Amino acid sequence: MPENKEESPKNIFQRLSQRGFWRSLGLLFALIGPGIITSNVDNDAGGITTYSLAGAQFGLSLLWILIPITIALIIIQEMCARMGVVSGKGLSDLIRERFGAKITVYLMIVLFLANLGNTISEFAGIAASLEIFGVSKYISVPFGAFFVWWLVVKGNYKSVEKVFLVACLFYISYIISGFMGKPDWGQIGKALITPTIRTDPAFLTMAVGIIGTTIAPWMQFYLQSSVVDKGLKAEDYAYTRIDIIAGSFTVNIVAFFIIMLCAVTLFQNGIKIETAKDAAQALAPLAGAYCTWLFAFGLLNASLFAASILPLSTAYTICEAFGWESSVNHKFTEAPQFYWLYSLMIFLGAAIILFPNMPLVAIMFYSQVINGMLLPFILIFMLLLINDRRIMGDYVNGKLMNGVTWLTVGVLILLSVAMVISAVLS
Amino acid sequence: MAVNAEPQDFLFLSEILGQPIIGPEGRSMGKIMDLVVTLAEPYPIVTDALLSTGEGQKTAMFYRFPIIGEKQSPFRVHSVCADDFRAPSLLENELLLKDALLDKQIVDTHGAKVLRVNDLQFLTARQSLHLVHVDVGFRGLMRRSGLEKAVDLFLHGLFDYDLPNQFISWKFVQPISSPDLLRLKIAQDRLSRIHPADLADIIEDLDMRQRSAFFKSLDVETAAETLEETDPKIQVSLIEDMNAAEASDIIEEMSLSEAADLLGDLPREKAEGILKEMERDMAEDVKELLAHPEEEAGGLMTSAFLYFLPSEAVDKVISTIRHEAEDMDFIYYVYIVDENERLLGMISLKELLVAPGEALLSELMDDRVVSVHLDEDKDEIAELFAKYGLMAIPVVDDGDRIKGVILFKNLLEVVAPHLGKN
Repeated sequence: MPENKEESPKNIFQRLSQRGFWRSLGLLFALIGPGIITSNVDNDAGGITTYSLAGAQFGLSLLWILIPITIALIIIQEMCARMGVVSGKGLSDLIRERFGAKITVYLMIVLFLANLGNTISEFAGIAASLEIFGVSKYISVPFGAFFVWWLVVKGNYKSVEKVFLVACLFYISYIISGFMGKPDWGQIGKALITPTIRTDPAFLTMAVGIIGTTIAPWMQFYLQSSVVDKGLKAEDYAYTRIDIIAGSFTVNIVAFFIIMLCAVTLFQNGIKIETAKDAAQALAPLAGAYCTWLFAFGLLNASLFAASILPLSTAYTICEAFGWESSVNHKFTEAPQFYWLYSLMIFLGAAIILFPNMPLVAIMFYSQVINGMLLPFILIFMLLLINDRRIMGDYVNGKLMNGVTWLTVGVLILLSVAMVISAVLS
Repeated sequence: MAVNAEPQDFLFLSEILGQPIIGPEGRSMGKIMDLVVTLAEPYPIVTDALLSTGEGQKTAMFYRFPIIGEKQSPFRVHSVCADDFRAPSLLENELLLKDALLDKQIVDTHGAKVLRVNDLQFLTARQSLHLVHVDVGFRGLMRRSGLEKAVDLFLHGLFDYDLPNQFISWKFVQPISSPDLLRLKIAQDRLSRIHPADLADIIEDLDMRQRSAFFKSLDVETAAETLEETDPKIQVSLIEDMNAAEASDIIEEMSLSEAADLLGDLPREKAEGILKEMERDMAEDVKELLAHPEEEAGGLMTSAFLYFLPSEAVDKVISTIRHEAEDMDFIYYVYIVDENERLLGMISLKELLVAPGEALLSELMDDRVVSVHLDEDKDEIAELFAKYGLMAIPVVDDGDRIKGVILFKNLLEVVAPHLGKN
């Protein structure tokens, strides 16, 4: 085990400057990726819908919540990345070895269902965004499913990762469309730093919804696996931390612009919407047709991006837990379980959208509920694992870090439970 | 498999864990948390059980595992004495099964695969438990999660399909969950039976920590052969985890061109450290190869080959080959050069073997030798290999002096890197 303990930011900068600026910058770009990709996938179809609704229904009053979310996201993802770097193992691997087969089997079944639900909503996002451009879902969804499947099965991971990194850039379309709404920055800045809490159920549900869509169970598995896959070592950990902080900020900046745009346009004009597609269409008369197109394009990119990653991450996670061959670098016959799981998720995700009269809203809703029920377990497992010296050695949480994490996790668990209960009651 | 005359005498670890041991007065002495085995050939024998804190006991203890009679579940003992207990620390050659194996990864040395252990199977023979099989199948997983009956009912009812057991005999199991396990005596002989190319695949399947522990457990020669077959990125990470002395021992055993490629991929300081530790001759050869870009003839070639003056006789040449072959990367062609090392011709080993012993190379050699210049591009070289059907092509400098030989194998790795590696 390496002897150096938790590095303080000061040490990191010292080391960065010792290595020379350009060398460090080069290393940073070589090692960056997992954090940024994970965070950006998080702004998926479900996320964009939630942010649009939050802005349209509650104006700027929920904007402040993005600040605590950013902090929580950094804390949780930092733990995942640290576990990946130190143990060299994925999260499902660690859970299996520490908590045994039984817990793992049931956890994986629930995770599969939750992620399948999320995948369905990604394909719904593909359908909705392309309908704005006049493409029928019977064309867009099968084509999108094939594209996503082909990307991973026929491509190799290096190129796949590059495609995904480029996809992250397209989130700028939301920032541009945000500016097109001609916002009043003074008012927005004030809303951002003024916590508004209302006690009506609709407001609370939306607050929990934003948190739920930003911190999802699958992310922890995906992030840790990508960190391991990249072969990051403890010495490079400083860069990984930068990657994660940058990622957590980007995801919330995008969220900020979506909420803000919908608040200054739809909310101020009293327009009611139910989906992200409604939001995009309602923007045209208020902010111009280009704004609609940018918004729809952003939704398409986000949905495609997440539809590629979610099935992949699920297949990885499950195969890793059960010791099946799992890598995009293997051929179909070498890793049959991996490719079957992957293909099955894409096929089901796409096929369900194409069924006429499928209760899509209900499916998405219940997948959010399953996510919410799963998250507390995963967070608790993570905390137990990261404090296990047999796994983490000297890299276990410090006292302060543990206090902060337990608090964060406690709040998240409370909110998840509240969301599940309120969902079941309503 | 070895012994399965009486299938009813098999027990799974999952059936034993959590069971109480019942004392003479019919009271539970504690639950079985784990089993201790002593590694013995062919199968490890269960010697003790790790007991949970039961009545009258403050801490977890090792308790001598009771003699197994017939149909003995739960486990009963007729008498208890203090000698049966000992402090929970392992002796050499002892393993805690749940801790070391259950849910952990192992290497199946027969199929050369990394698998996860779902359960362990014991055979009761001579009144004790012997670890015979490792269960890696889906059935074992379902048994562990209490879904075996449901899955059976489902698969049998719908598809008339019975889920088979997938067992691996203990003889082919190499535990890898901790570096200590790789240091056990069983490790070396089991791993040495695997082909280096398969070892390389296994290494690629492991996580980073396991990789370097696994790699370090190989003997130097096997390690070198395995390293040659491993993906360049993983090569680098394996070598970076070693100190320069260990690394140089392994790299010295590799072929010259592979060694040069690997050192070229390492960070400069690390590569220089290793070169300093290496034998001087080899270090200098490697440095020379490193001077050329990897995708050109100079970077593809090896300098461990044989060349002679035209005035040499066949017998002398053959005896030199016999003497030097050990250190050469390639011996099937012999090149003929003048005093200034200018390439004159070549002759194959086959032609040498059928030629009369006293004949001179100048009489036998083929002077229509195909050669390439140091900066020739890999695609051009591939063309030449295909056109002339050669095993190797010599590389010359501006003065037509021979510098090295490109082997078909090394070219293939650059032109078609996807072949043979996952």
